[in-house]
Amino acid sequence: MAAANTQPVAASRAVEARKRRQREEELLVWPDLVFIEFISAVLFTVLIVALAVLVDAILLDRANPAVTPNPSKAPWYFLNLQELLLHMHPALAGVIVPTVALIALGAIPYWDNTAEGQGEWLSTPRAWLNTYVGAGVGSVGTLLLILFDDAQHAKMWEKLTGTDWPIPALRNLRAIQNEIPWPESWLKVPLGDKLLRTDLLGLPKISLNVNIPGLIVEQIIPISTMVGLPILLSIVAWKAKIAQTKRDHMILQFSGFIAVYVTLTIIGTYMRGEGLALVPYTIFAGDH
Amino acid sequence: MTATESPERRSMGDRVYDAIFTNRLWRSIFRSGYPNTPRNQMLAVATNVFLHLHPTRIHRTHVKITHTFCLGGLSFFLFLGLTISGVLLMFYYVPSVERAYEDILALETDVRFGQLMRNMHRWMAHGMVLTVLMHMMRVFYTGAYKPPREFNWVVGVVLLVLTLLLSFTGYLLPWDQLALWAITVGTNMVGSAPLLGEPNRFVLVGGFQVGQSALIRFYTLHVIGLPLMAAVFMTVHFWRIRRDGGLARPL
Repeated sequence: MAAANTQPVAASRAVEARKRRQREEELLVWPDLVFIEFISAVLFTVLIVALAVLVDAILLDRANPAVTPNPSKAPWYFLNLQELLLHMHPALAGVIVPTVALIALGAIPYWDNTAEGQGEWLSTPRAWLNTYVGAGVGSVGTLLLILFDDAQHAKMWEKLTGTDWPIPALRNLRAIQNEIPWPESWLKVPLGDKLLRTDLLGLPKISLNVNIPGLIVEQIIPISTMVGLPILLSIVAWKAKIAQTKRDHMILQFSGFIAVYVTLTIIGTYMRGEGLALVPYTIFAGDH
Repeated sequence: MTATESPERRSMGDRVYDAIFTNRLWRSIFRSGYPNTPRNQMLAVATNVFLHLHPTRIHRTHVKITHTFCLGGLSFFLFLGLTISGVLLMFYYVPSVERAYEDILALETDVRFGQLMRNMHRWMAHGMVLTVLMHMMRVFYTGAYKPPREFNWVVGVVLLVLTLLLSFTGYLLPWDQLALWAITVGTNMVGSAPLLGEPNRFVLVGGFQVGQSALIRFYTLHVIGLPLMAAVFMTVHFWRIRRDGGLARPL
């Protein structure tokens, strides 16, 4: 600006300089942003049309409630939840986990309300490190847990040694319920209809009978795993000085969450075949 | 205002420019001339209802492709594309158990560009789920959820849920085996919720199993209910980006 060059007062020079720098850092939305938007819109239109010309959307046989395909799968973005269903109580996997996950996701800014690392990609020190650690632990950990619940360690043992897996109760998660001689009285603990007053909501009364081994396997172990392992990860990362600030922990946990989400989705999509057994599978391979 | 500084020596180009951009018709629509001067460029953005979603000036780091990868904009673009292709698909589709599957078959074989339209709708739908998820990751890793943008992150989470629900409700409409059983599996998950699961599933599906009632419910949600909700939340989302000072900047 011409006025700034002729400004004689030295005291205001610093202020003027800052103002000028800010204006120089600015671009006009037309043309600099509008054209980028326009070009990317054109590019993606071409891309989508090309994809739509080359690959047809899938259409199977007419819907038939009498014929259940094996496997039956939810849409791909829910296959992570369907994968969870195989390892825990359906209420936990199908409703409680996604609800809690979404609330936790929404709560991120209220938890990490510091200003550090704002406006730039992974700009804080250790940001990339925490991304790698979170993503690595999340994906490998999920994979190991799934392999455990599929008794892969026991199958490997049996293959290598030719003998039976020596600890039947640790064959997979369900084995804890089935292979341990739980006292008979634990299998059906009557809590009566006083605990859940569903009649107050106009619903039928529920008389609760708690199966303690079932509760441990379907609820307590999965909940402690899903809550405990991330906390453990944060504690270990904190002690190891990998995660030191709120933002570090946030990156660690978020990266872990995304890695778990992606791993579960991939396994649910490509590694769950007939009877949802852990085998390679694509929707295009089977004859539906 | 004419384009040239010296009106007495107007070239051919200036005459053409004035003929197009200073006549009453152009001015009645756009108010300012062609955006070839900084003043007109800012006016073009500020006085246009669509462009004024943007500020008139932005920081130069924000037009770097690698800063945003255009992911939020692409999600919105795909939403618009899905609306257009979806309206075209509605011309040929009747949400009835007897007709739905035959309508899709007819769309693919008898309707000119019908298969293309359906393919585009399908790929854009999958694409939108991906871009919305990646947009969330971009916002997280650039720390753009931090104050004062906390609530816009929450609005974004709501939009993510709406995107998934839009895709999920659309999944049932072709009424093939894939659709029926994916929705059966998905709604059974809702049914497994403690206490209110089964009543909720009943409301969602409109019965004990996925049938005509489910189809009309999913169709209505898919073509009007959820898009309207998404539009409302998108309005808030975009508005707050402006209110909160545009894209986040390092302090």
